[in-house]
Amino acid sequence: MIEFIEILLMLLILFDLALLGVSRLKTCITISSLQGMLLGIFTVLAHTQGLTLRIALIAAAAFVLKGFLFPRLLGRSIREASVSLELEPYIGYIPSVIAGLALLGASLWLGAKLPLSSAIGIPLVVPAALMTFFTGLFLIIARKNALTQCLGYIIVENGIYIIGVASVVEIPMLVELGILLDASVAVLVMGVAIYHINREFDHIETDRLDTLKG
Amino acid sequence: MYSAETALWCALLAPFCIGFVCTALPGARIALRVMCGCMFATALAGCIAIQAVYKTGPVRLASGWLFLDPLSAFHYGVLLLVFCLSSVYALLYFGQELRTGRMDRRQGRLFSGLWCFACAAMTLVLLSNNLGIMWVGIEATTLVTAFLICIQVSRQSVEATWKYIIICSVGMAFAFTGTLLIGASAKGLQLGSHDVLLWTVLRDSACGLEPRLIQAAFIFLLVGYGTKAGLAPMHSWLPDAHTQAPSPVSALFSGFLLSTAMYCIMRYIPLVEAATGTTGWSRRLMIGFGMFSILIAAVFIVSQKNLKRFLAYSSIEHIGIIALGLGLGGVGVFAALFHTLNHAVCKTLAFFAAGRLGQLFGTYELREIKGALHRSPVWGGGLFAAILALIGVAPFSLFMSEFLILKAAMDSSLFLVSALLLAGLGTVFICALGYLLPLCWQQSPHGNPDRGVFITAEAFLVYIPLITLLALGLWMPESLQSILREAAHIISGTTTASAIAGIGP
Repeated sequence: MIEFIEILLMLLILFDLALLGVSRLKTCITISSLQGMLLGIFTVLAHTQGLTLRIALIAAAAFVLKGFLFPRLLGRSIREASVSLELEPYIGYIPSVIAGLALLGASLWLGAKLPLSSAIGIPLVVPAALMTFFTGLFLIIARKNALTQCLGYIIVENGIYIIGVASVVEIPMLVELGILLDASVAVLVMGVAIYHINREFDHIETDRLDTLKG
Repeated sequence: MYSAETALWCALLAPFCIGFVCTALPGARIALRVMCGCMFATALAGCIAIQAVYKTGPVRLASGWLFLDPLSAFHYGVLLLVFCLSSVYALLYFGQELRTGRMDRRQGRLFSGLWCFACAAMTLVLLSNNLGIMWVGIEATTLVTAFLICIQVSRQSVEATWKYIIICSVGMAFAFTGTLLIGASAKGLQLGSHDVLLWTVLRDSACGLEPRLIQAAFIFLLVGYGTKAGLAPMHSWLPDAHTQAPSPVSALFSGFLLSTAMYCIMRYIPLVEAATGTTGWSRRLMIGFGMFSILIAAVFIVSQKNLKRFLAYSSIEHIGIIALGLGLGGVGVFAALFHTLNHAVCKTLAFFAAGRLGQLFGTYELREIKGALHRSPVWGGGLFAAILALIGVAPFSLFMSEFLILKAAMDSSLFLVSALLLAGLGTVFICALGYLLPLCWQQSPHGNPDRGVFITAEAFLVYIPLITLLALGLWMPESLQSILREAAHIISGTTTASAIAGIGP
């Protein structure tokens, strides 16, 4: 089982690197959707010994929200804004992947340094979580498109979700569901904001949102 | 006790339910009135609960997940004050916007609904004993208030909304990581799932928390909640959001939303201090962020062209002062809490006045607003007095709280901090006076247009905060002193409680 979880975590990291190197928004959304589904499966696998109704519910919620609902919301925004490519990001795709590798190194180092003993006894969990967290942040900073930034937020949430599921003690279910609900509403709110940006500006490039200064 | 619990449930749930009612009502004016009535009813219920806290001790709800102790009761009191004042103001402000056609019926209803939801979300933050629920509440305030900024959709307001959502959401992600790390640091305590994030449980066994993890957690929490509080360098959303939001919303943002996030940080300070062996590590971080915010705000205030933007940077400065007070400990904590109250009242008034003057002059540009005192004696006078209070002119109460913080810094022999604080405050003082004098007195190039209709409620909105600020500056009632002392005691823990006893201006 442990080998299987490790493969899963490696896939998560590969998806992170892929996100950094892809320019087509649709592909990015598909990758994030796959990552979301993996998280659902990961939640169940990480707790095969003590699988409770609480964990099963959280896994199902993550699987559906991150695997299907968020990508659908983003997909709709793409169609409305009729954009398909991220043009001229602040940091190009090849440098982004190289930065991603550096982030991976940093995550492995930080994972070893932080006294976060993983509840499921797999050392790769914390680095994978940190790598996903950093990738999300990188996307928010290095890309200009509002949709990619929203995607970055989802990836950041995914990273935190891994930390929450795998290495921290049991959090009451009500809190976990509240958090998932908040994340969903956040994506929805961002979707509406992107709709307004597109209507007011006829584009969703955040570097061209420059009317407010000083 | 039973009635206090019922009152608290009502205060939490009433705004949430009325929010839905407001969005479903047929007209904007009726929705605004219902919202206003709901806020006063909530305030009444809230006051019953707050009174019970000081008479019989903390009120607990939902098997200890929600509670009201002296620290949250103090903040809740400030919240209710800000919401009541701002709701009446919103009624007047949006009444004018509806008359001039700058706002339509749908926007009025949406505003009323979101305003009630914002009140419910902030109440949830203050009542949470569970740190996870606290996070859920503060993230909910971000999501609800995002649409309050662009309630009147324009290019600028949409841009400000986007910055606010993306920056604060990332900040909240940091805060959540911090919350999880706090949970992880309590692993050694073998707590059950019900207790693991309960603040009261963690406080009682704080010495058993893993120090290295809790330090990492506090950094995440400070960056996360600090983003929402507007601490520099995470403040970049704040000036835009405050400028673009309608004035009642700006007043709420500055008056209490920032303090809500500061309140979350206040809850963590005693945990971190106890876990790290009261080395003052977290306090030094607070001093650093506080000082940096004051200086950054002072630098940006030098070249402001927009009245609301100037007030927004002033908020960053005052949040910095509060953080500095918390970092200094002892008398500083007492003064920081006093400053929270003073700043909430004063900044609410300043944004009220700025908003009405903006409506009269049709702009917020400082060089175009001239002779405000002549054009509207009530609001011009209100803005003049509010800005004087904000820059720390005696005998307003902000002078007293700033003076106490400076005294705390001098007592701790932090002379560099004191000098930088004085330099920051001095810069803001000079620049603000430079903006204020022409704004109030200079002859308007457009002659003397009509003064608008005078409404008695407007005078009350100006005089109530002003008299409060003046009275608190001259004399602090014994009851308020003990309220502040009890709240400060929760943040300081037992070690510095003796230093706070007997302190009052």
